[in-house]
Amino acid sequence: MVKYLVRRVLQMVPVFLGVTLILFVLRIPGFLPGDPIKLIVGERPLSAELRAQVEKENRLNEPIHEQYVWYVTQALQGDFGNSYQKNRPVAEILGDKFPNTFRLAFAAILVEIVVGILAGIISAVKQYSFWDVLVTLSTSVLVSVPVFWLGLLLQMFFGIKLKQWTGGAMFLPITGMGDPPDLVHLILPAITLASVSTAYVARIMRSQMLEAMGQDYIRTAVAKGLTERAVVFRHAMKNALIPVVTYIGIDLGALMGGAILTESVFSWPGVGRELYLAVLQRDWPVVMGGVLVVVLIVMVVNLLVDISYAVLDPRIRYGGAAE
Amino acid sequence: MALLEVTNLKTHFTTRDGVVRAVDGVSFSVEEGHTLAIVGESGSGKSVTALSLMRLIPDPPGKIIEGSIILRGDDVRKMDDSTVRAMRGDRIAMIFQDPMTSLNPVFRVGFQIGEALRIHKGMTRKEAAARAVEMLELVGIPNPADRARDYPHQFSGGMRQRAMIAMALACDPDILIADEPTTALDVTIQAQILELMIELQQRKGTAIIMITHDLGVVADMADDVMVMYAGKQVEYGSAHDVFYQPRHPYTWGLLDSLPRHDIDEKGTLLPIEGQPPSLIDVPSGCAFHPRCPYAQDRCVKESPELRDITSGHMAACHFAGEDGFVRGEAVPVTGGVE
Amino acid sequence: MSARNRKAGAPFTPAGEPVDAGGHLLKDDRPGAVSIPGAGDIPPGRKTRTLWGDAWTRLRKNKLAIAGLVWVILIITVTLSADLWVPQTFGDPTSTEFDGLLSPSATHPFGTDRIGRDVFARVIYGARVSLAVGVLAVGISVILGLTLGALSGYYGGVLDSLVMRTADIFFAFPYMLFAIALLAILGPGYQNVFIAIGILGWPSIARVFRSSILSVKETEYVDAARAMGASDLRIMLRHVLPNAIAPLIVYSTMSIGGAIITEAALSYLGMGVQAPTPSWGGMLSEAKALMGVAPWLTIWPGFAILTTVLSFVLMGDGMRDALDVKMKD
Repeated sequence: MVKYLVRRVLQMVPVFLGVTLILFVLRIPGFLPGDPIKLIVGERPLSAELRAQVEKENRLNEPIHEQYVWYVTQALQGDFGNSYQKNRPVAEILGDKFPNTFRLAFAAILVEIVVGILAGIISAVKQYSFWDVLVTLSTSVLVSVPVFWLGLLLQMFFGIKLKQWTGGAMFLPITGMGDPPDLVHLILPAITLASVSTAYVARIMRSQMLEAMGQDYIRTAVAKGLTERAVVFRHAMKNALIPVVTYIGIDLGALMGGAILTESVFSWPGVGRELYLAVLQRDWPVVMGGVLVVVLIVMVVNLLVDISYAVLDPRIRYGGAAE
Repeated sequence: MALLEVTNLKTHFTTRDGVVRAVDGVSFSVEEGHTLAIVGESGSGKSVTALSLMRLIPDPPGKIIEGSIILRGDDVRKMDDSTVRAMRGDRIAMIFQDPMTSLNPVFRVGFQIGEALRIHKGMTRKEAAARAVEMLELVGIPNPADRARDYPHQFSGGMRQRAMIAMALACDPDILIADEPTTALDVTIQAQILELMIELQQRKGTAIIMITHDLGVVADMADDVMVMYAGKQVEYGSAHDVFYQPRHPYTWGLLDSLPRHDIDEKGTLLPIEGQPPSLIDVPSGCAFHPRCPYAQDRCVKESPELRDITSGHMAACHFAGEDGFVRGEAVPVTGGVE
Repeated sequence: MSARNRKAGAPFTPAGEPVDAGGHLLKDDRPGAVSIPGAGDIPPGRKTRTLWGDAWTRLRKNKLAIAGLVWVILIITVTLSADLWVPQTFGDPTSTEFDGLLSPSATHPFGTDRIGRDVFARVIYGARVSLAVGVLAVGISVILGLTLGALSGYYGGVLDSLVMRTADIFFAFPYMLFAIALLAILGPGYQNVFIAIGILGWPSIARVFRSSILSVKETEYVDAARAMGASDLRIMLRHVLPNAIAPLIVYSTMSIGGAIITEAALSYLGMGVQAPTPSWGGMLSEAKALMGVAPWLTIWPGFAILTTVLSFVLMGDGMRDALDVKMKD
């Protein structure tokens, strides 16, 4: 297990360096649209001395490989430089936004766990029933709905159609939701963000339950005299949950990296929307720093998922750590 | 009164291609502490018979459509769901062919053995765990206290089957059904498992229904033998009668395909030609006639009934009991028609 | 008294034609065969067919998949023939000839937008962008994925590590952010959208194809082909590709749906297809501010995306079941 962990962590290093390298290419003048000096100081004319000073402050005059080494060294210490646009350290901006993204991510995961797993179990236990057909069809529809459209529809329905009951603005986070936003503002974005993954969770849960129910050990459990409930919820479910938990874990990592579409539709002050705006404004230090942190989060969460997988599945814990 | 009396049991499956008559009118009984061997090729209906006894037939597609299963005076067919559950694992227990897949991979072995005790004997988790260790010791697992905390994948195949036996015998059932318990194991392990079953039967007085395709497996332990073919009994009698005076050509075939040293010294193994028939489209007359070297016109047209040949020894063959129609003497029909 | 002395009660089987036991030897490994405990395989009463023939027979029975197929064909027909009838009947998709924000009516089934364009016409023409981007993007992903996956799996070594680490890096990136950053570099426009989506899609295909190659590479018939002097390319085309084709088809079909959603999302964010070219995502972007007064502007383009993507998903599901492909993700 320890050996496996060490190898996994070592595997992360080249990926991380690769990501920094790709990101750094973005900074090479001429590669990206926009002159970095202009991006920093704006369109006003600049004296040669002032220009040299800005270049020096941002180390733009150094050879590119030195800039890279310097950037990675600084980044590893949590310093991602300053935003071109906001004249604030990137780390500070991200520190403001990540908590909101995490709130949204955990709320969405909660929806996935409750709705997805429940729907999957009902669907599998009552295979071919009305509920199974309903779940199967609605998951197909859900994975086909563009999330931003779902977000718009929810806003339209709860914010405008049901205004008298919902208080309109309460469900429309666009106006006055404060920072951090109140919990009520979390409901619609969380449902929107969770929609696709909830459908997948339900599908995986269903197929895993059906597969587990067909195994020999289920027959053993029935032959022992267990009730149907014990057979389904103890013997089948513990096996079926392993891949589902893995999926949810990986999704948590992805959601914690920010949700550009959901955050944009609901004007949610999270990392995804911030990075999207940064791309639009060519604020490359924010993009680079943000992506680096996001990638790190995804990699760490995936590592934790692998560990929890080994904890959940005894066959992995003791046996094939090499997997 | 026998411990278990099964009369005219019929279990059919409805499939896309038609009705499968997996078990089609089977009657037998099991005495206290005795061993009945049900023998036949795959597809003969022997496993479905066993599963029917515990009401483990998946419905749909399967259903017990006729017959009675009387366990100490209680008709298993008429039990409601909770009574059936109370019976399973407590009065009749079952072990299966593949010990690699029959244990749940995500629960500890001790927990899985203790589960039945907690439902049927009302034991606490702790009591059940302690009893599970005793059971593991009984079936010959070394370091049972440590091993009870292992997961199935840490056990070898033979040890898993021992654990299955421990699980099945935990509640001291009246009957243990063993469905090909040694088929998936190495030959050396097979003998150990059979010895263990015989030993435990002597100690606990459990009746055993042994399902197997291999007559050799049951030679040492069976009191009675029932041979099945295409969902029906073709021969049924005491082990002595069936082994030494077999009356049905199919039983002869099964015996000829065994490596034997005690009866004939020729040492040649003779496989039964052909394949078991489809249970949807069972051959007319005697189901065995397409493979039977002695089949005549009558066998194509008329289905032989199971009848007493000698007292208590039954066979379903038109010619059984006729002079000269015994193993090793009967003359194969070459043309198929006289 | 023991049951042994009773009649077994076997019903008399009326004499029929002798059945040849050899006629029942077919093994049925195809899905759908009912397995009966201990009874072995039930011989089927059907004749064997080819993989593709069999798959098509099963696909035809899948009503949802066929509905998806019909819907996609309908959309393609309508959007390709649009020049012949849409502008004449409903109006030009880019001309602002009508009053703004007209509610849906007989003349304007989906109403008009803020600057007086017919929404129905725009939805019909928007299908062109969506379908073209979907198909072209997946085409690029497949070509890149097959090539890189083949190189990686067949030659192994440094090349393999390089390709697979690059794939890891692609997977580590947040997908939408990567797409937006690519478009920030390439600039907006519909060619760049499908190029960007295509570039982002290769790693999954490369991984799937690489593992197919690894499993086929060790087989004896590939050794035999190599011994007979077949070239690498020939081995790849004749022996490896046919084995990988079924999952590839299923995956591509589903990916088209995904690419359509991504295109719509990018256009919604203003990074994709630019006005005045009608695109479903772009229309939704314009509709957002008018949600309260003109809900039809939000409903119809989204509905078009949903039904089109759903069609590809249902087709993909149907093909997966028909071809009996196990998908990992």
